[in-house]
Amino acid sequence: MTMAMIAVMIGGPWLGALVVWAVGDKREKLQHWLAVLFSAVAGAAAIVLIPNATSEAIVKIPVGGAFGDFTFVPDGLGVFLSVIATVIGSLAVVFSTSYMKGEASLGRYYAFVLFFIGAMVGLVLSSNLLLIFFFWEITALCSYALIAFHNDDPKAVRGGVKALIITSIGGVGLLVGALVLFAYTGSFDLNTFLGASGTIPANILSLLAFGFLIAAAAKSAQFPFQTWLPDAMEAPSPISALIHAATMVNAGVYLLARTFPAFQGVPFWREAVMIVGTLSAILAAVMALTANDLKRVLAYSTVSQLGYMVYAIGAGGVFASQFHLFSHSIFKALLFLGAGAVIHSIGTRDMLEMGGVGRKLPLVKWVFIIGSLALAGLPILNGFWSKELILEAGLKGGPAWLYVLMVIVAGLTALYTARCVWLVFFGEPRTEYHVHPAGIGMKVALIPLALAALVSWIAVGPFSALLGERTLPYHEIEQTSLATVIHEILTLPTLIALLVIGLGILLWFTRSKMEGLINGLRSIRWASEKSFGFEALNTAFVEVTNNIAEALRSTQTGILNWNVFAIAASLIILFVILVLGG
Amino acid sequence: MNPTLLFQDLIILPFAAAVIIYLVGRISLRKEKDWGFSVARALAVFSLLIEGCLLYFAVKFALQTGGIYLDVGEVSLMLDGIGLVLTAVVLFLGLMVTLFSVDYMAGEKGEEKYYALLLSTIGSIIGLGLAFDLFTLWIWFEAMAISTFLLVAFYNDEPPSLEAGIKYLVQSAVGSALVLLGIALIFSQAGSTSFAVIWQAASMSAPMILIGGILLIVGFGVKTALVPLHTWLPDAHSQAPSGISAMLSGIVIEAGMIAMLRSLSFMGRIEFNWGAVLLVFGCLNILVGNLLALRQTEVKRLLAYSSLVHVGYMLVGFGVGFWYGQANGATGGFFHLITHSLMKGLAFLAAGALLYALHLKNNEHVPLTLSDLNGASRKYPLAAFALSVALLALGGLPPLAGFMSKWQILVAAASAKNTLMIIVIIFVGLNSVLSLGYYAPIVNRLYRRETSAAVENGKPIPVMMIVPLLLLVLAVVVIGLWPAAMDFFTTKATASLLYPFFY
Repeated sequence: MTMAMIAVMIGGPWLGALVVWAVGDKREKLQHWLAVLFSAVAGAAAIVLIPNATSEAIVKIPVGGAFGDFTFVPDGLGVFLSVIATVIGSLAVVFSTSYMKGEASLGRYYAFVLFFIGAMVGLVLSSNLLLIFFFWEITALCSYALIAFHNDDPKAVRGGVKALIITSIGGVGLLVGALVLFAYTGSFDLNTFLGASGTIPANILSLLAFGFLIAAAAKSAQFPFQTWLPDAMEAPSPISALIHAATMVNAGVYLLARTFPAFQGVPFWREAVMIVGTLSAILAAVMALTANDLKRVLAYSTVSQLGYMVYAIGAGGVFASQFHLFSHSIFKALLFLGAGAVIHSIGTRDMLEMGGVGRKLPLVKWVFIIGSLALAGLPILNGFWSKELILEAGLKGGPAWLYVLMVIVAGLTALYTARCVWLVFFGEPRTEYHVHPAGIGMKVALIPLALAALVSWIAVGPFSALLGERTLPYHEIEQTSLATVIHEILTLPTLIALLVIGLGILLWFTRSKMEGLINGLRSIRWASEKSFGFEALNTAFVEVTNNIAEALRSTQTGILNWNVFAIAASLIILFVILVLGG
Repeated sequence: MNPTLLFQDLIILPFAAAVIIYLVGRISLRKEKDWGFSVARALAVFSLLIEGCLLYFAVKFALQTGGIYLDVGEVSLMLDGIGLVLTAVVLFLGLMVTLFSVDYMAGEKGEEKYYALLLSTIGSIIGLGLAFDLFTLWIWFEAMAISTFLLVAFYNDEPPSLEAGIKYLVQSAVGSALVLLGIALIFSQAGSTSFAVIWQAASMSAPMILIGGILLIVGFGVKTALVPLHTWLPDAHSQAPSGISAMLSGIVIEAGMIAMLRSLSFMGRIEFNWGAVLLVFGCLNILVGNLLALRQTEVKRLLAYSSLVHVGYMLVGFGVGFWYGQANGATGGFFHLITHSLMKGLAFLAAGALLYALHLKNNEHVPLTLSDLNGASRKYPLAAFALSVALLALGGLPPLAGFMSKWQILVAAASAKNTLMIIVIIFVGLNSVLSLGYYAPIVNRLYRRETSAAVENGKPIPVMMIVPLLLLVLAVVVIGLWPAAMDFFTTKATASLLYPFFY
């Protein structure tokens, strides 16, 4: 049964991709329905799998040689993330039925969305590192294809190629890790590795640990690879929801969480992970504060929230990080789809051109506010509980100065969230825009997400059971209950954090009276709009490569004499080497 | 079954067919009828299918009896793993190219010569795969060079095409001269060109064989397009008819590499690090090829440079195999040879289909540029899809074939367990990413909504041209999902290559 479910979760969407593509763009309605059907079936299969989670390999296809066994293990972590991928993914598909109505090339759109969802499930359920890398690169391919969906827009193409290149550069870290692991253990199996990580030489283990960290940072858009995610905003909004909440960026955090038991003893690894997380959280929060593009604000907030998860893993709070991932998927999908509804309705992404949208789109306003409060971390929404768990883990497992920084970032989060909600939904319209009502598919996707953002934290008990000893033998996650968590969280540090969050919100509403502070913030605005120089670094890198390539073209002279000369010269060089070497 | 007969048939059939095709074409031309060309095309396809059946029986027979070989005086022939890979690949690719060419070449001046030369190219590559002494190897190598030269310069009233042909001819001739010199030196020490004798002689300190070996690397290296011996390649690949570009890139340059590896495998006992030489050339090819491709604006030229890169990957695999005795390296090298012939064959044929529809059919002999491709998917969905699959596969993205073969090569490098090889892996990995920098934007161009003027004036692509594209797409995807499918070929070839080298 479990085997069939795994097949349905990966094969279902992939088959769906082929079917939707084969149906052809002339039958648009059918394409919408088929896409919903295939993604929903995968989602149902994932939910059915929850009680059947196990640490045993359910599917094992021996391929042999350099490829190992293609193994799939539906353990707690894998099942949890595949539920996120398929359920949130299908809500994004449902949303798309309204959002993408009448768009050209729908077949290509849905094919890649379904391919993406299936690949993400494969990525989290596989325990063979070759397969993980395989699915890892497929998600990169899909994100590239979807970000650049509007191929005529050079910005979209640039964003797509950038996402592909940066995540693939990081992927080299995973590649090296996987290959070296195979060289030393003769197997690509992650669980074998977790069980026997002590037998691997220390320097090789650190190579693996840092290689995987680079890969995870690139995939989850963490420092110093964060630049691709904001540019990925050129994608249609449901794709942003898919990338930010259901698939892509979760993969990096997943990889770190999955391999944490093996790497926690590697010198400086945990510190490096925490610093990467904290830096990403701070830089992105500041950038979110100064951005005026609605989707960009949300993109930076994703980088920042992923920073929290990465930080938590470094501090040893794997459970807290995954719980925040759970909450974040829900509220971030909600926010992106809400933003999508706003953008679809009024046709701009610039918040300065909005204002007062709430009166025209009351449902969207309320669900967006719910999502924002969860993002800001206000009780009793899901973001509150998980963020507090992370801060608690950080206090326990990490240095105090990082903890203080993360609490301040919580305040910044509240500030930029308040700013975003206010600029979009309240006040007077700043331009004359025309409002289209939200489609039925949009509403169907938004309401369950809003409800989930309100109540998903209640499931903390079963969630800890899913990630517990039974399915994840190496992670030492204790089973907990709602009462324990509430008890743990309602302590002094939480109150301090809440105070800072409150201050953040207060800061927005008293902005007219806080001249000094606002001016102080303005001074960093310039740096933040230049994304602290990282964008310039990227550009310089591309330029240098292009210049070298251009210069090298002169070696292709087209003159036969030079060509023959090159042959003679290489022969002579080889002989010289032979004489010197021999 | 009689091995003598089998060998004779395998080698004679393509050449016999070539002669018949040429005669049939000429006769019908003389009578001013065009039935001869249909017969010529059908004969070409038919003889390749028969050749495939012959190969099947030969392999079956070889597996039963533990190998088949034939010695006629100083000439020896043998069907081993290396020959099997080369023969199977050239037959499959040759068949695809022939099917593709049916419409592509229809009505070109000298169509009968085209098929005759194509078959004799295939025949000489098969001969090269079966040759088991150095001199025979060289004879086939030359035969291949001659038939491909005529194909490169096929459009012989187009100056660029002639220029490419001359460059190819002169540089090949320089390479051949070096090979011949190398053979002479080796013969002077070993007293024979038989591989077994060379293997014996190479066990001692053998300076002449060592120098001969280096001459062979450079000589065969011209055909293999090692950097900096590659300068003929971009012109030849882009000026030849597209089917021939696919053959050149998919198998001809690899045949040069096989000739080189085959010879080197019998010099393994000389104290010289052959593997390191291959590895250095491999890395150089990858880097230079990528950088040269990055700023290209002509599609076929870009694909030609990407051939340098992929030869580089194979050389890295073989280099690691020779240097560290990692069987996976050689297996990966052969695997990449197979997948590359499928991917690059697909890429050139798909680009060729577009070139045909956008330019050739409109009687324009101009190169296909990147901007011509804008929006091609709207009018040519299948050709655009095939080209996208080929490019993404070449860039090493899963679930396509190129990913798996690169993976196997890199597994071998990692298994050497040293820092240098980890650096090589990172180098290769980053270069693979760099290659996405020129492949990915092409795919975006294909899927634009705004079409280029060339696409708008384009003619339809005939169905017969699409069939080989779809077959190749299927192969690229299936191997990407099931890499073990090629194990039969690659492991046998590895055994043939590494066994003499290490014993």
